[in-house]
Formats: sequence, structure tokens, C-alpha cells
Amino acid sequence: MKQLAEVLKDWEAVIGLEIHTELTALDTKMFCSCKLSHDDEPNANVCPVCLGLPGALPVPNKKAIESIVKAGLATNCEIQKHSMFYRKHYFYPDMAKNFQTTQGPIAFCMHGHLDLEVSGQGAAERPDCAFGSGEAASLASASAGATGLSTMKTADAPRAGSSQGTYDTALASGPVRAEDGSYTVPIRILRIHMEEDAAKMVHVGGQEGRIADAAESLIDYNRCGTPLIELVTEPDLRTPEEARLFMEKLRRIFLTLGISDCSMEKGSMRCDGNVSLRRRGETRLGTKTELKNLNSFKALHDGLEYEIRRQAEVLEEGGIVYQETRHWEPSRKRTVVMRVKETADDYRLFPDPDLAPFDLTDDFIEHCRSEIPELPDEKRARYEASFSLRAADAAQLAGDPEVARFFEEAMAASDAAAKGGKATAADKRARTVANLILNELTGYLNAAGTDVTIATAGIAPAQIASLAALLAEDAISSNQAHEVFGIMAETGDDPAKIVDERGMRQVSDDGALLPIVEQVIANCPDQAQQYRDGNQKVIGYLVGQCMKASRGKGNPKRFNELLRENLA
Amino acid sequence: MACFDELTAAQIAAGVGAGTFSAEDVARAALDAITARDKSVAAFLQVTPEAALEAARATDAARARGEKLGPLAGVPVAVKDTMNPVGTSTTCASRMLENYESPYTATCVQRLIDAGATPVGKTNMDEFAFGSSTETSAFARTNNPWDTDRVPGGSSGGSAAAVAAGEVPLSLGSDTGGSIRQPAALCGVFGMKPTYGVVSRYGVVAFGSSLDQVGPFGRTVEDVALGMNALVAGGSDPLDSTSQPCDTDFLGCLDEGVEGARVGVIPQLLNAEGLSPEVAAAVRAAADKLEAAGAEIVEVELPHMDAAIAAYYVIGPAEAFSNLARFDGVRYGYQEPGCATLAEQSSLSRAHGFGIEAKRRQMLGAYLLSSGVYDEYYFAAQKARTLITGDYRRAFERADVLLMPAAPRAAWRFGEISDPTQMYLSDVFTVPINIAGNGGISVPLGLGSDSGLPVAAQLVAPSFGDAALIRFAAALERAYGAAPVAPACAGKGGELK
Repeated sequence: MKQLAEVLKDWEAVIGLEIHTELTALDTKMFCSCKLSHDDEPNANVCPVCLGLPGALPVPNKKAIESIVKAGLATNCEIQKHSMFYRKHYFYPDMAKNFQTTQGPIAFCMHGHLDLEVSGQGAAERPDCAFGSGEAASLASASAGATGLSTMKTADAPRAGSSQGTYDTALASGPVRAEDGSYTVPIRILRIHMEEDAAKMVHVGGQEGRIADAAESLIDYNRCGTPLIELVTEPDLRTPEEARLFMEKLRRIFLTLGISDCSMEKGSMRCDGNVSLRRRGETRLGTKTELKNLNSFKALHDGLEYEIRRQAEVLEEGGIVYQETRHWEPSRKRTVVMRVKETADDYRLFPDPDLAPFDLTDDFIEHCRSEIPELPDEKRARYEASFSLRAADAAQLAGDPEVARFFEEAMAASDAAAKGGKATAADKRARTVANLILNELTGYLNAAGTDVTIATAGIAPAQIASLAALLAEDAISSNQAHEVFGIMAETGDDPAKIVDERGMRQVSDDGALLPIVEQVIANCPDQAQQYRDGNQKVIGYLVGQCMKASRGKGNPKRFNELLRENLA
Repeated sequence: MACFDELTAAQIAAGVGAGTFSAEDVARAALDAITARDKSVAAFLQVTPEAALEAARATDAARARGEKLGPLAGVPVAVKDTMNPVGTSTTCASRMLENYESPYTATCVQRLIDAGATPVGKTNMDEFAFGSSTETSAFARTNNPWDTDRVPGGSSGGSAAAVAAGEVPLSLGSDTGGSIRQPAALCGVFGMKPTYGVVSRYGVVAFGSSLDQVGPFGRTVEDVALGMNALVAGGSDPLDSTSQPCDTDFLGCLDEGVEGARVGVIPQLLNAEGLSPEVAAAVRAAADKLEAAGAEIVEVELPHMDAAIAAYYVIGPAEAFSNLARFDGVRYGYQEPGCATLAEQSSLSRAHGFGIEAKRRQMLGAYLLSSGVYDEYYFAAQKARTLITGDYRRAFERADVLLMPAAPRAAWRFGEISDPTQMYLSDVFTVPINIAGNGGISVPLGLGSDSGLPVAAQLVAPSFGDAALIRFAAALERAYGAAPVAPACAGKGGELK
């Protein structure tokens, strides 16, 4: 198979995502008051409603509606005041009623978008190309079919609202590319609808855990009825990197909203990818395949990449891409056919007569809006503006609400400390705090494993602020900071105390450093001469000698400066 | 002392409260009457003597402790086998649910128990309420107490027959297209379907979720009112999001009188094809009685009446298909033995668990909802529903209540109607009320001049104006008298010691 870059020169990949997110932050299920928990014994959290027993009736969870409205507002969707629940029928024991309660043509949230910023290597995946309004129009007309909504009934489909036009032409603006190759592109969100999750099934004795040939199948209804929101994008994504970035961005937003733990590993956030290829310049969509088991950001990227390369090979050899569902096998780095869709499934969708249509009030929507915290993009902009952080650092801090909270608490502690003592510029302190969080603390958390989070690691924001102060005052070197961090993580002591007790305070006083510099120059005449002859690199060796002579306490930056002055 | 069937529910509750007789004595009398009469009537699928006596003793013990008793203290009640009480099987008269026991109790049943009633058993019905004669029951043929060669009507035929036979003074049915009012008419008792949303549907096995409504049967309007008060006590049900609060005191409407009130009659209905002359004559006579009581008779129109039955046979089967999809034999109910695959097990369990009418309605519903015909049928039916609802709203601008037939004819012989569409037409006067959502009550008008069997009128009230049903039914009751126990049953067993 050709490499992705090679393929994308000739072919345009058209990608749409369907992203399911369980509202794990809620206490109870979507239509009953059963506890929401996947960790309990199987079938511990069930009742007549979520078991679909005869006579049981659903009662909607108002908190879940609040959550989806927040999700819609945070992704620039139009909140639909009038929408309904529908029944989607299919016979399978993971859905106790043999229908799933979901939404119809009108979802709570319609027609949103997220702007995707693509930079670095990932930006190169998308070759420069004309991106005209003709394409936008063809995509808009094709989008319903491409996103699996073709079975929706037409008669009660939404009437095109006034903003529909803007939505359809949103793509026409296309990606805006900067000089460094990075670009920003709007990705339209068709809808976010509310539904209930199915039960978990375990097939024992079958091949690869599938039901065929299984000796027995076990069903755990704890998950059945979990509130689930499904976001469907338009097929606006063009590269696996864009798909990955979209998913990451959405996850950061949902985490910030506090509606879900968004764990791809545990399955509380799941993604299916639809992908098709067409020759560059072609406006009609090719035949798509649907990818399942994309249960990590890497799987999402790699699965799509493989599938694009596979489809290109099939098409270039004159073959046909079949509309089918394929399973990504990360261990073998390939996709395999799950089932072929010969005809569209007929889910016999109709309005659920047990659930009255919704009539959301302005007050309700405004209440939801008022509860939305600062979102990652706003937060990042604020960090960049107020602290002069590098864009990438600001984005990383702002992306995870726990990390952002930690950063802000550390900055508050740093500000408080700075008021008393000699003031280091706020920008400098902020950059130092950011560096410590993104390098030392993140590295520590990564090494500690998935069970430890920034909130449970036992490191206080004030400790990071204190460590940053030592760095900013040049009291310790960055190498020493690493060492102090390690001791701090182990003992829980304050960094200043650690530095003082262990005599680690860095010496920056020229009076102490100059004799060492002079001694080193005298001891290393060959290297000194090499420097004078223009070999700049040798200065590193000489700094190392100075550090050794000072038993690591001298300020390496000052040593460097003094060496250069004395060798001039 | 006399036979317990001479007492109304109100009199039993009063007697138990006063200590004239104990709840246990009443329960024993009812169980005795059921034993004596149900051989020929077969109203019950299941009688629960132990549970009945236990409940009755609890009532007596409460009285002995000096506690205030509920308004239905010691009143024996029967409930349709579509309702879930803990401790009984709930079969919906289907092999599919043979031996199915519910782990929870339906709200409507619980509210009767909370009012002090003594539940004595579960009554026969058409399978999953699909039918108008109780003939589609998988387990038993219920006979009309007035003539055991004739059907009791349906689908709540068992609940109507149990009250007509004097086995219980009060029972519950469910009504999706006439399943309370039509058997009440054929058995000669009062049967009320309140406005959709007045009574909780929680725990009642669903047929058509947007049409189903629970209501009481009784031999007096007062007993129906007592039953209604118990069903709405406690307000709307938090477990049924379509239930509405109802603060009507139905007992308080009994003596309001009808002087100056407007009773709407619909000429097109009284001349409808298929309406038997004796029923038409009886309904006209009922109008005269109300006029004599001081009411004004006004003529109103229901222009979209014809569309109602068509809409009903789209919406009903569509919702039934969906509601019955859960019966697949996986976790409960009939499971086909020896199947190799899940698909085989589900389809054979359904093929052999459901009877012919249940399968017919589900097949119909599955077709009506399939993509391609959805707009033509289901969506069109919803539009018709909007028009029909509008008809009734406009009619009630001119009338306080509507008077019309309940069933087109008196009870027919078993097997006499075998064509399903002919059977469907026996609900022609009741179905539109479910489509519109309003409440209706079947009022017995004595015996038909030709058949000598019970005939009835139907009163229909404005949406959530169910008090009018009790008020006008009471006026007719003053003219015609309370519903008698069917002569063949009266006094058989059931002596109250």
C-alpha cells in the first residue's frame, strides 16, 4: 500500500465522525432513577424501567437534558426548543425493550461547528488545494446520506431555518493557512442528540468475543439506560490528523463542561469513523466504509489512515469499495469486515408515545448557558494574553480542566508569595509554573500510571509555585529543579525547605564564581585556546568543569557568561 | 344475612367502617360468589383467595386499632390481567406471558390497595387487549352473564362480566379503543374511561401508549366515582410522565343535577350504518330523559368521525408493534426450547407465544411504520388525529357533554363475528374518543326492545372535564336505576355472614 501522503496527493479523503459520549457525571440513568455506575456487580443497578419489563414507563432525566444543552451551546449549535424522543427498533438483547429511545429528525442541538487548528506535521497531511463553494454545496446535499440519517422520515423532518444557509456555506470559507503551514478549518456539526446506552454483552466461548458460535451470552444491564449523547459531524474532515484533533478538542470541551469523564479507554467516549475517497477535483462522494473500535486517539488516527490507504489501493487497482462496517485491529494494524450493509436498516423510527414532546423555555436554556464554565479556547486565549504563555503551552494547560485549575491555583499562590518578597515579573513566573506543570508534573503523572491524576498525585499547587519561585530567582538550576521535584514528590516537603536543608541553593554570586572560572581556564589551556580559535562548542566542556568544581551549586548560566568574558 | 351482591362498593366500605360486617366476611362472600358463578361466567383467569383474605384481615386489624379506613375499605376488586400486582401472574391472556410474575405493582392497583380495597384476582381479556369480545384470550372463554352463549365484549370482558355477575362490585379495565365502555355496554354495567393522562399507566402492560387509559367498572355511578377518586388520589404519578394531576372529587358530582346543561347529540351517529334500531331508540330515549331532567338537547357535528377508525387502526397497531417488541423470550415469558441461535429463538418464541390477533396487529404495525409507507399511513393518521381532536373541542363549545351509542348492538353470539374488520367496527363509537383523548362512560339503559339484552349509551366529556361524566351518568341512573346483577347470577353463593 502507498503511504498516506502519497495517497492524499491524488485522492481526497472525506471523513465524518459519530461520537457517543456517556454522561457519566450524572447520578442516575436516562429514564429511571437507577444509579449510574459501571463498577458495581453485574445487574446491580436495574429496575423495571431499564429492564424493559411489561408495563414500565420512562421518565426523562432533566439533568441529562441540561447536559446536552450545555454540550450544544459549547459547540455553537442551535438549541431546538421543540424536539421529541423517538423509538428506534432492532431486535437484540442488549436493548431490553428491543427499541432504543433516541431522537428523531430534530435533535436538542442542531447545526453547530468547531474551528480546528491544525499545525506542525499534522498540517502537512492536508495538501493545499482549491476549496471552493461548489464543494460546500455538494457536501451539504450529500451530508444526510453520509451520516446515516437516510432512514429518517421525511414528513416530520426539520424545515430549513434561516440559519441553515449560513451553516451550508460555512465550509466555503475553507481552511485559512498561515505561513508556517498551520491552518484553521471549521468542522460542521450536524446534530447532537440524546439517547440511552445499551446493556453490555459478553459472549463466552465464541470467536473473538462475538456472538456467533458463543456457548453462552451474558448481559449486564447496569449500562442499559445510561444517558448518552451522540454527536454527528458533517463529512468535513479531510485527514486522520483532523479527525484526531476534532475528537481531542471535543473531549476537552466535554471535560471542561463536566458532563462526562470522557474515557475512550473505558468506553464512556466512543467514536465511529465514516470515510470515503474521491479523486481530487471530483465533487461526488465515493462509497464510504464505517470504522468501529477506534477506542483511542491513536486508533482513530491509525484506523482512518489504514482505511484511506486500503481504499486507495482497491480503487487504483480498479476494484470496488463496498459499503460495509469494518473493525480496526490495532494489534495487526488493519481493518477487517464486520458486516456488509446491503440495504439500509429499517428501524421503524416513530415518536415515542410515552414521552411528551419537549418545549424548552428560554429560561431553561439561559440557565444552562450560565452554568457553562470558561471553555478551553477562551481559557487558552486568556493564558496567552495575561501570562504571555506560548500558544502550545497555553493550549495544553487549558485543555484539561483539572490541569487548568491546578495552574491557576499555583499562579494564585505564586502571586501571593510575590507580594511579600522581591518581585519577579508575573510573566516569568507564569512561564516557569507552566513549564513545571507541563514537564515535571506531567512526566511524573505519566510515570505513575493511569490511576494517579493531577488531583490525586499529592502535589499541591503551592509547592509548584514555591519551586517556580526558586527557579525564577536563579536560586536553583533547572537540573536541580528536577531533583527537588523528585524529593518533593516523595517527601511532600516544601521545595524551599528541601533546597535549604540539602544546601542546594545555587550560587550566582560572581565573587564566588569568578575564582572557579579563572582556575578552570588555567587548568584547561588547550580547550581555552580552542575557544579563542573560534570553536564555540568547547564552552560546554568548560561550563561542565566549572560545575564540577562548584559541586553542582554554581549557576551554569553565569559560568557560561563569565567564561566568555574571561576568554575574550 | 343477605347476599353480598346486593351491596354496592360504597355500602360495603361504609359497613366495614361501621363494623356492621368485617372486611374478611366480605372477602369470603366474594370468593364464595366467584366460586359459585365463575363456572358459568369464567370472568377470572386467576383468583387469589389467600392474598384477598390477607388484605381483608389487614383492613380489619387497622379498624381494630382505631385507624381511619380508606374509602374502599374491604371492597373486593378485580383487575384486568394486563395490570401488574406483585404476587400474581400477569399474563395478558397470552401464552407469551403464561407464568410471568411482575416484581412490581402497577400504580392503579396500588392506589386501590391504598384506599383499602381487597384485590381478589385477575380477569380475562382479549390477548394483550387485541379484540372486542374477549375471544382472543389464550386461556379461557368468558361468557356474558346475561346470556352465556354470548360474548361479554372486550377487551376488558372479564372485568365487565365479574361486575355484571355480582362477583365483585368494582373492577378495573383498560381502554385503548373502547375496551372498558364496549364490554360495559354488552354486560349492562357502568364503565368509565377517563381523559388520557388522568389515571397512571405505570405497571399496565401497554397496547397503544398514546391511547391506553385505565378506568373502573361498577353497578352504580357512585361506585364508579369512588373508584375514580381512589385512582386519582395522590395526584399525578411521577412514574408516568404522561399522567396529569386531577383534583376532581368525583363523588361530589353525583348530585349536581343537569338543569340548564347542554347535552350534545350527533344526528349522523344515530343514523349510522350498522347501528341496531334498539340501541338507536334507547339512546334517543336517554336524550329525552335528560331533557326531562332539565337539560337542553343540542345537535352538534363531528365532521371527521369517519377518519377516526382508520386512524385508530394505524396508530394502535403501530404502537402495539413497538410495545410488544420486548416479548422475545430472552429473559421472561415463553421461550421456544431447543433453538440454536438467538434469531431462531426470538422468532419462534414470538411465532408460538402470540395468538393470531396479536400477530396480525404487530405485522400490521411493523408494516405501517416501515420507511416508504410511514408518511402515507402513520403521519397521515397523526394529521387525522389533530382534525378529530379539533372536532371534539369545537363540539364542546356548544355542549357540556355528548350523548351517543357505546356499542352498535347488544351482545352477539360466540363465533358470530369472525371477520376481523367486522369485529373492528364494533368499536366504531368508542374508538374516536381514544383518538381525541377525551373521557367517556358507558351508561346502561336497561334491556333492548328486540334482543332483551343490555343496551347502553355513551357520554363523552370535554378533555379533563371528566366530572361531567359522573354528573350526567348520575342523572341517567336516576331515570333508569342502578345496573342490576345479571338475573342468572344474582343471589348465587356469596352470602354475607
